[in-house]
Amino acid sequence: MTATIHCFGILKSYTNGQTEVVVEAGCTVREAVSELGIPVDIVAMVVVNDEPRDRDYRLRDGDVVRLVTVMGGG
Amino acid sequence: MNGYGGSILRVDLGTGKITKEPTPADLARDFIGGRGFGLYFLFKEVPKGADPFGPENKLIVSPGPLSGLMIPGAGKCDFTTKSPLTGGYASASMGGHLTAEIRYAGLDSIILEGVSPKPVYLLIDDDKIELKDASELWGKGTIEVEKHFKDTLGEEYQVAVIGPGGENGVSFASINHDYGRQAGRGGVGTVMGAKRLKAIVVHGTKSIPVADVEAYRKAGLALYKACKDAEMLKDWTAYGTTIVVSWCDEVGALPTRNFSAGSFEGGKTLYGPVMRQEIVITDKGCFGCPSPCGKYSRMKRYDSHVEGPEYETIGMLGSNLGIADIQDVAQANLLCDDLGIDTISAGGVIAWAIECYEKGILTKKDADGLELKFGNTEAVFALIRKIAAREGFGALLAQGAKRAAQQIGQGSEKFAIHVKGMEQSAYATHNATAMLLAYMTCDVGAHHNRAWAITYDIQVGRDKVVPEKVARVIWLQNFRPMFDVLGACRLQWVELGIDRDLYVPALEAITGVHRTWEDLEKVGDRLWNLSRMFWARENEGFGREWDMPSPRFYEEPPKTGVTAGQITRFEDVQRLLDMYYEQRGWGSDGLPTQATLEKLGLASLVS
Amino acid sequence: MRLYVDSTKCSGCRACLVACSLNLFRENNPKKGALLVIPHFPAPGVYEVKVCTQCGDCAAVCPTGAIKQNERGAYYVDFEECNLCEACVPECPESVMFVRTELADAAWKCDLCGDCVSVCGTGALWIAD
Repeated sequence: MTATIHCFGILKSYTNGQTEVVVEAGCTVREAVSELGIPVDIVAMVVVNDEPRDRDYRLRDGDVVRLVTVMGGG
Repeated sequence: MNGYGGSILRVDLGTGKITKEPTPADLARDFIGGRGFGLYFLFKEVPKGADPFGPENKLIVSPGPLSGLMIPGAGKCDFTTKSPLTGGYASASMGGHLTAEIRYAGLDSIILEGVSPKPVYLLIDDDKIELKDASELWGKGTIEVEKHFKDTLGEEYQVAVIGPGGENGVSFASINHDYGRQAGRGGVGTVMGAKRLKAIVVHGTKSIPVADVEAYRKAGLALYKACKDAEMLKDWTAYGTTIVVSWCDEVGALPTRNFSAGSFEGGKTLYGPVMRQEIVITDKGCFGCPSPCGKYSRMKRYDSHVEGPEYETIGMLGSNLGIADIQDVAQANLLCDDLGIDTISAGGVIAWAIECYEKGILTKKDADGLELKFGNTEAVFALIRKIAAREGFGALLAQGAKRAAQQIGQGSEKFAIHVKGMEQSAYATHNATAMLLAYMTCDVGAHHNRAWAITYDIQVGRDKVVPEKVARVIWLQNFRPMFDVLGACRLQWVELGIDRDLYVPALEAITGVHRTWEDLEKVGDRLWNLSRMFWARENEGFGREWDMPSPRFYEEPPKTGVTAGQITRFEDVQRLLDMYYEQRGWGSDGLPTQATLEKLGLASLVS
Repeated sequence: MRLYVDSTKCSGCRACLVACSLNLFRENNPKKGALLVIPHFPAPGVYEVKVCTQCGDCAAVCPTGAIKQNERGAYYVDFEECNLCEACVPECPESVMFVRTELADAAWKCDLCGDCVSVCGTGALWIAD
């Protein structure tokens, strides 16, 4: 039971440049992000299967997650 | 001249005289275009001590060498003037399609001088350029007037128009275009109104010459490919600037109830995905933009449309006023746009007024019978109308928060949230020292778009006061405004993260001049110092005190929200400034040293 | 092969028109592009786009044979042979046959170069059979 997390922009610096990381399903997005060593506070938005979700969403098998970060702002 | 229309248009609104002069080659070489041209003409031609409302002030409207070409986001136009809000430098950047049309009319800058005896509009139709009577249009909202010109002249005509706000002299009046884009801040619309210029209407059929057509085409297509391949494209296009609403709320940067906190209890109903579902109908783009961030919306409750609201408006007219309903924020946005006042400054001064009322400093009688409470939407709509009309209580607020607080006193100056007289835009900086420094040192007052540094604050440690943060702010200040000089949008780099070096071959193929980003940042550094000298020239005793932020950010830790209990120490505010002056090559008085001016080639211009 | 458009995805940016004029005329002038991008604002607040469907009605009516087919099988105007009679203009069912003598000495139309598709960031335009 796994989910795939796509990391954009500066988040890649926390995943050794990997844009796609496979994680165990069942934990929350917040927990998965912490596991990867990413400070949760720099994740601006979480999109799961093209739907925006909050960080306490519990990952299910086959979920595709996009982690959006805001490097540059307005 | 490759990459340029070739002419500067000069319009004396007092005499009605319209002249064209060739764009000087050394101006193009040293100041490039857009904001660069604006600052050059402002410094050189507006005499020291000029009344911002008077005939000696000028409004300089300038596209850049990328504007109107096959370059992502090639739709930015700079409006520069001496600010009636701050008494210093004002430069506002407007998207849409006007900038391209100015270029197709063969123009690189339009210098508006003097004051017209009667309301007029400027009509530019290639080489046929006239000032025409605008008495029938005076008093009308910006949307009606733009529609009038589109209906009578045709869709090809691009229109920039002020509303009653500019006509009536509201200090923070805006210029509106394309049913939803603005030159918003610093009172650029106020100056246009003081000159009795209701609108600028442009139509051009010329082509823009470039140095190497094949190389330009190749470089342009490479830029578009990079944008289309960007991982962020889909989400950015879906939400635009509203993509950060939830994040700002979560990190304590969302201004809440006059910046008394950085998270808003009602915030969730303002988030980007909620807004998209409830009101957005079209992703609307500026000229040449592959990542259209404009969110054209329909508010069913009010049977109205608006382009927006953007993040800034959601912050300043939403959470900052305690309003949690996105349709209400959108309607407040529409009122500001149609009446022609800046949504950010409006939100800032209204929030100040509400706090005065809640503290008993202002009464219901002072407020013309309005109940000024955070969350009272009807009062906000009424205030926007009064401000635009400068009627009753609106006349006080129309001066901006700094002056209004000076008049009311009773300690209210402490919570007029501004720097240099410009109301702070929508990032709460109780504990984000790089962003706080950015607001303190921004060249037009407390605006965010020169140096946006909050993610950097969070990555490095939000309360850290270290030279790296200062260096980052300075780099962003030298770099980001160069997009305003080039006449194109920075958000493809900022939000999509495309490689900025892709612009280099495009710029060279267009202008024939090779410039790296290092070269461009040197120009940026020069412009930054020149605008600083303008502030110093126009304001007796200008210096360190003018860079101080609102005491709210070093005396009043929020009581609620994510940053509850967090505050920046006053000593750190001073340390940030000390490091900033040192790294900028300025004295401890906050002014560029002679050595710095000489290094930047500014010594003779400023003497 | 022909160009297709989904107007609901159009942002009104007009990058397609600049790319088109660059291809047809080696100029930066969206008024010399060969698509129509029609704004409907302030209400309902949408853009309407018309593109050439390569139907060939223009070629069928052209008296000088100026409208030919190129290596992509697309109809295009040979500028040398166009005499500006304008017979083609009302024939076009999409109104994307252009004659504006203040801008060019010949009629112009889409030649299916594909550059508009390359610069369209929203995917509103694509080429297919």
